[in-house]
Amino acid sequence: MIRFEKVSKRYSSGHEALNELSFELGAGEMAFLTGHSGAGKSTLLKLVALLERPSRGQICVAGRNLGEVRKRGIPRVRRGIGMVFQDHRLLLDRSVFDNVALPLVLAGTPREETGKRVRAALDKVGLLRHEQAQPANLSAGEQQRVGIARAIVAKPAVLIADEPTGNLDPQLASEVMALFGEFQQVGTTVLVASHDLPLVKRMGKRVLVLDHGKLIDDFRP
Amino acid sequence: MNRRRSETNRSKPAAAEPRGKFSLRAWREQHLYSFFSSLGRLATRPWTTALTLAVLSLALALPLLFWLLLDNARDLSGRIEDARAISVFLKADADAAAAEQFAQRLRNIAQVGEVAIKSPAQGLEEFRSHAGFADALQVLHYNPLPALLIVSPRPAADAAAIVALAEQLRGEPLVDLVQYDLQWRQRLSAILHLAGRGAAVLAGLLALAALLVIGNTVRLDIQARAEEIAVMQLLGADDGFVRRPFLYTGLWYGMLAGVMSLMLIVTVEAILAAPFAQLTASYDHRFDVHGLSLASMLAALAASVALGWLGAFIAASRHIALGQPK
Repeated sequence: MIRFEKVSKRYSSGHEALNELSFELGAGEMAFLTGHSGAGKSTLLKLVALLERPSRGQICVAGRNLGEVRKRGIPRVRRGIGMVFQDHRLLLDRSVFDNVALPLVLAGTPREETGKRVRAALDKVGLLRHEQAQPANLSAGEQQRVGIARAIVAKPAVLIADEPTGNLDPQLASEVMALFGEFQQVGTTVLVASHDLPLVKRMGKRVLVLDHGKLIDDFRP
Repeated sequence: MNRRRSETNRSKPAAAEPRGKFSLRAWREQHLYSFFSSLGRLATRPWTTALTLAVLSLALALPLLFWLLLDNARDLSGRIEDARAISVFLKADADAAAAEQFAQRLRNIAQVGEVAIKSPAQGLEEFRSHAGFADALQVLHYNPLPALLIVSPRPAADAAAIVALAEQLRGEPLVDLVQYDLQWRQRLSAILHLAGRGAAVLAGLLALAALLVIGNTVRLDIQARAEEIAVMQLLGADDGFVRRPFLYTGLWYGMLAGVMSLMLIVTVEAILAAPFAQLTASYDHRFDVHGLSLASMLAALAASVALGWLGAFIAASRHIALGQPK
């Protein structure tokens, strides 16, 4: 589902974020991406979502060679990927419902259908009660779960998350990670970047370890 | 309500549909949504919006007013040019009989239609009727006015023929002075032409100003919503989707400013109507003034809406492209 072939990324500043990176993640597989900060985790996720282009190498996501996607095609690729961010990136002037509905609005889903799917997604993350709440009035853990609901509402084949538990206490972090595990069970390919190695190990999934832009370990605890 | 909601949640959501395939209905819904939500956003900042609209409507009303003035002046000058009579002043020693004889001779010239004679006595009478002249004329012991022939060319005669006729009259021994205001008329026509160009230039400059005002307003709006735009782009919004609300904002600005400028002009027309009526009455209604026609109003409104949309489009296209890889 996600395949990297000798991918390198050098920023215009000269910083080499990724170096000859190769790995493959099968459909419905879940993996954690870990390593010290600056190891290239975020860069790798950005390449998957076409927020950045690689300097060298080839990336395929859902059978699609991203090198062949032109600028105009980028939005469509992104609509096929669910993304969760450390700082959740919710729109604070809109309700929880409207935030979660956004990917469906972008995809042109009919309104009645949107309502059903948004509520299903909110139910999944346990926030149905807060449908009409403003995100600013929710706790950090709840905000992150709204972000997750938004990422999965359009049923993407691929779900990526960049430090989704970075701002959460250990209890909430475990809950959020468990949520990702559930999505994998329904067939979504999940790739989560996290530097919380103990938590990652407890999850018992495949772990990719990055160091200075190189893949130094690929194991399953 | 809540119970019903939780029931829908338990039911399995439908399978994912093909992406990027927009139904016409969804497209219409998105446009309707943008149309009204952009108006709603304008309403959340009433003062900023009102100020921007005031500037825009003035920028639109000024060239319209100027054009209206010019259009009326052109009408008036057309009427003046219709009066093509040549005034022929005879020498002081020409008596009434000589004048009559001369007039009779002129009537036989091919280009001449009518010849009216104004005797010195009639001229004096006319002068007396003008306020202020009566006292001055008391001082005079004799009538200094010469006899005057007013020669109207035939309707078929063109400007060149009239000029030639005036020249011919000038050569007559009995004639002291021939007055035909060709030069003055040419000057008036040149002035009106210049003013017309001036109005076009002014309209162009002010349209540019309106474009910049709208562009700048939309740019500020985009900056204020940079985070929202970034999130939308992350989630896979294409440029058209991100741009749309801003285009509608521009559309609204153009439409509202257009309506306001037309209201301004109608108000100015209403204020000036009474004094103008007085003025035309004093000229025995030999000319009249008109306001903007419905067609020109609609054209001005359409131009205003187009300006708003264009200004927003330029600003949005420039600023939304940021933050996307090539």
